[in-house]
Amino acid sequence: MERVITANWHVEKAYTLSVYQQHGGFKSLKKVFGMERGAVVPELIKSNLRGRGGAGFPVGAKWSFLPKGTDVPKYLVVNADEGEPGTFKDRFIMERDPHRLMEGCIIAGFTLGLKAAYIYVRGELVLATRRMEAAIAELYAAGLLGKNIQGSGLDFDIYVHRGAGAYICGEETALIESLEGKTGQPRLKPPYPAVVGVFGCPTVVNNVESIACVPLVIERGAEWWAAQGSEKNGGPKIVQISGTVKRPGTYEVPNGISLRDVVFSDLYGGGPLDGRTIRAVIPGGTSCPVLRADQLDVKHDFDALKEKPFETMAGTSGVIVMDETVCVVRIAARIARFYHHESCGQCTPCREGTGWVSKILDRIEAGGAKRAEVDQLLDIVNNIRGNTICPFGDAVGMSIGAYLRQFPEEFIAHVEQGRCTYPAW
Amino acid sequence: MPTLTINGKQVTVPAGTPIIRAAAQVGVNIPHFCYHPTLSTPGNCRMCLVEASDARGLAASCYHKCTEGAVVNTETARVKAARQAVLEFILVNHPVDCPICDQAGECKLQDYYMTHDHKPSRVTTAKNSKSKAKPIGPHVVFDGERCILCTRCIRFCDEITGTSELTTEQRGDHTEITTFPGRELDNAYSMCVTDLCPVGALTTRDFRFKTRVWLLSSTDSLCTGCSRGCNIHMEHHEGEVKRYRPRLNPEVNEYWMCDEGRLSYQHHNLGRTTAIRLRDQREVQWPRAARQTAEALTAAVAKANGQVAMLTSPQLSCESLLAAREFASTVLGNATVYVGGNPSGGNDAFLITSDKNPNRAGVVQVFGPAILANTAYKLLEEMEQGRVQALYLMRGELPFDTAGRARFAAALSRVALVVYQGPHGLDLEERAHIFLPSATHAEQDGTYVNETGYAQAAYAAVPAMGQALADWDVLSRIARAAEMPLSFDSFDALHATLAATIAAE
Ligand SMILES: Cc1cc2nc3c(=O)[nH]c(=O)nc-3n(C[C@H](O)[C@H](O)[C@H](O)COP(=O)(O)O)c2cc1C
Ligand code: SF4
Ligand code: SF4
Ligand code: SF4
Ligand code: FES
Repeated sequence: MERVITANWHVEKAYTLSVYQQHGGFKSLKKVFGMERGAVVPELIKSNLRGRGGAGFPVGAKWSFLPKGTDVPKYLVVNADEGEPGTFKDRFIMERDPHRLMEGCIIAGFTLGLKAAYIYVRGELVLATRRMEAAIAELYAAGLLGKNIQGSGLDFDIYVHRGAGAYICGEETALIESLEGKTGQPRLKPPYPAVVGVFGCPTVVNNVESIACVPLVIERGAEWWAAQGSEKNGGPKIVQISGTVKRPGTYEVPNGISLRDVVFSDLYGGGPLDGRTIRAVIPGGTSCPVLRADQLDVKHDFDALKEKPFETMAGTSGVIVMDETVCVVRIAARIARFYHHESCGQCTPCREGTGWVSKILDRIEAGGAKRAEVDQLLDIVNNIRGNTICPFGDAVGMSIGAYLRQFPEEFIAHVEQGRCTYPAW
Repeated sequence: MPTLTINGKQVTVPAGTPIIRAAAQVGVNIPHFCYHPTLSTPGNCRMCLVEASDARGLAASCYHKCTEGAVVNTETARVKAARQAVLEFILVNHPVDCPICDQAGECKLQDYYMTHDHKPSRVTTAKNSKSKAKPIGPHVVFDGERCILCTRCIRFCDEITGTSELTTEQRGDHTEITTFPGRELDNAYSMCVTDLCPVGALTTRDFRFKTRVWLLSSTDSLCTGCSRGCNIHMEHHEGEVKRYRPRLNPEVNEYWMCDEGRLSYQHHNLGRTTAIRLRDQREVQWPRAARQTAEALTAAVAKANGQVAMLTSPQLSCESLLAAREFASTVLGNATVYVGGNPSGGNDAFLITSDKNPNRAGVVQVFGPAILANTAYKLLEEMEQGRVQALYLMRGELPFDTAGRARFAAALSRVALVVYQGPHGLDLEERAHIFLPSATHAEQDGTYVNETGYAQAAYAAVPAMGQALADWDVLSRIARAAEMPLSFDSFDALHATLAATIAAE
């Protein structure tokens, strides 16, 4: 398949402006400068480009919510926090193709009349940060950032801001708080960032991949983009495969490809390690409910995975594969420990529930739990879900709940045998 | 103005009203921890979840705004289950050390557990440990394990005092309230956080381990620390005032009071002089005291050639002042009346006023504005000039510094007869010929007019200590013994006279 989003990833020094431009970079921006300002959003809507940060919200629709003709400045915030376990795509865009992201930002700036873009980058991604800072410096020097860019009348700046390593700062409103210099804790909604975002101003928050796709939609046209995916899920996308497969890695796939292909195709995951059998697959980062190996015949897109009997999510397209040597109880316990560690602690059910769940799961894994605690666990995660300030609590409920729902026999076996029979890691 | 239905009752509220407020209007109480009407809404405790027809899941009623036609239910099985779940979550790491917690008995967590949950615990995991008994300022002690992280205390310091001493540190269930590095919770209103704290995480160092709160009785009263006249619950046990807590009055002090005022309850208990002394006679009973004081005053007034003075005080209630006014003109033979009271002090833009007396406006109402020219300093000069032969001192607070007080005390020796009536002897008791113990405002009813002209009642909370009597009663007994009885013979009659006098003048 033709590489579109990842086309430059293996081009030498594509992170420099000159190489990026040699490979067609900034043509889309030029095209946009020649278009009606109002024409970009309808194009994005038509393309069915969905947000790549996890929730799959249509990008064009999100842009259209930004109030028009206000006096206050408006901003783009690029979510480059990439914290969801199993997710490793944004970092490659930033490291290998940062100018594509910048081009997307400038297109957003022109289209929406923005003052600036803030790229909030996960603190650990040092190379990505350096590459982006270098890219931005090049763009200022080339007159592609700053005042009156290329005579378009657009004044636009891009800033890179490093986070300090909290998963919750990937949640868009916690990210905004953090960007403002406050404790990174999610805000109550409404108001949504489109109305009250960073510094109290209207703000569009988009994922790195979402913004990097924008120049590509412009370049190829909305029809082409829409045709690459499944219904309402336009374009190619980046899946990231980890776990017990032959070919873990990052692959560009058409939206709506079957999950079985992602895992088994020799182009992608390449199937289980020799002599092993796949048992469970998380389709889009650890927040997404786990699927059993017999549930892989489903389109990997934001809509199909939601349907019964799957009831999971495409999330970040971080596909995590587990074979029969992997203890799913241990996986659930590790994920719960992650949530316990990362809960921001604002709201009661998540703050207290994540620790409680984690401690019970640790005990089930170690074999010291009672049968009643397994049932209790499902009750607890359901009490977290739906009752919290931000979707973190829902993710705890859905993901941990799914292990209990999909693999009840594993939990019971641990309790009954009083120990974990799987090999240690 | 959306109209909505809450538990079957219709209510119309201004746009933007959160459900929890609209519910209160129709008598529906929604349990809550973090919501407070004067503070911003973080929606963090999740105790107030309700079913609302316009919400996707359960709605946080402290935050969810009322919309036209919405149907809200606060008592469905789903809501009750969510409440129980929140209470259970709070208790996962809560130490439940109620037996040694000062908040026990007035704790929202206890109350809600009893009314909304009341199930045995199913928590089998170890609890986190956090700070215990950590002083975080001169007046407040913190217990991290009891804290439910509602952030009311933080928001109070951010939004009401603007001092921002508090924040959270750590994350998840390790989150703790703390002061910013190098700071402590030290502002003029710091103890208000102990009222706001729904649990025993913030308690006052002063009240710590003093009394179980269920033993306390509470009487509506006022703080007399300054001319704001903050409304308080005066709380007492076995005849002793134990603490003040602010009582809501949107016109005066809202939910708050200052630390100094709060701690001023101590003057009811400390430094009291509660025994009658007639020259060198002690252990005198009131009938004889009244008789001998009357005789001494009558004789002195007869000899004084009009050089008789009375020092009243803005510490006194309007009723006491009215009684004093009548006493001065009858028993004291038209004595000149002066005004004492505490020296003025610092103020702020919030509650604290510079007049450290509760009732100067009442003095003006009872005696007329001209009275203010008769300062204690003027009285001092008159005494020093030898122009005061008889002096009736009501209360010993004087608007002087230490040197001024010493000068005043010395000048008293030039007066032939000094009768001193007050709850505290202070440094003047020994200089008086007669000392008559009177009640503090905790021990007698009274009306006080605050700086903005707001007349407020303080009710007797505890019996007067020792031989002390209400101010009017002391004056009334002497007047009767002098055969010039005052025009009233009870507090109620006096209060009625006051109302009539103020209405007439
Ligand atoms: C707990 C939590 C963590 C999140 N972390 C990220 C993240 O690391 N990167 C990201 O792009 N979106 C993350 N999101 C999603 C963002 O809130 C937001 O929906 C997204 O950035 C919007 O961009 P998009 O519409 O382009 O997908 C997270 C959401 C939650 C609830
Ligand atoms: S759900 Fe968890 S992460 Fe989200 S606001 Fe509440 S405590 Fe914080
Ligand atoms: S100390 Fe009290 S007021 Fe402050 S957050 Fe904790 S429970 Fe709330
Ligand atoms: S402000 Fe004045 S009246 Fe209020 S508590 Fe303080 S001293 Fe008392
Ligand atoms: S009172 Fe509504 S969430 Fe706390």
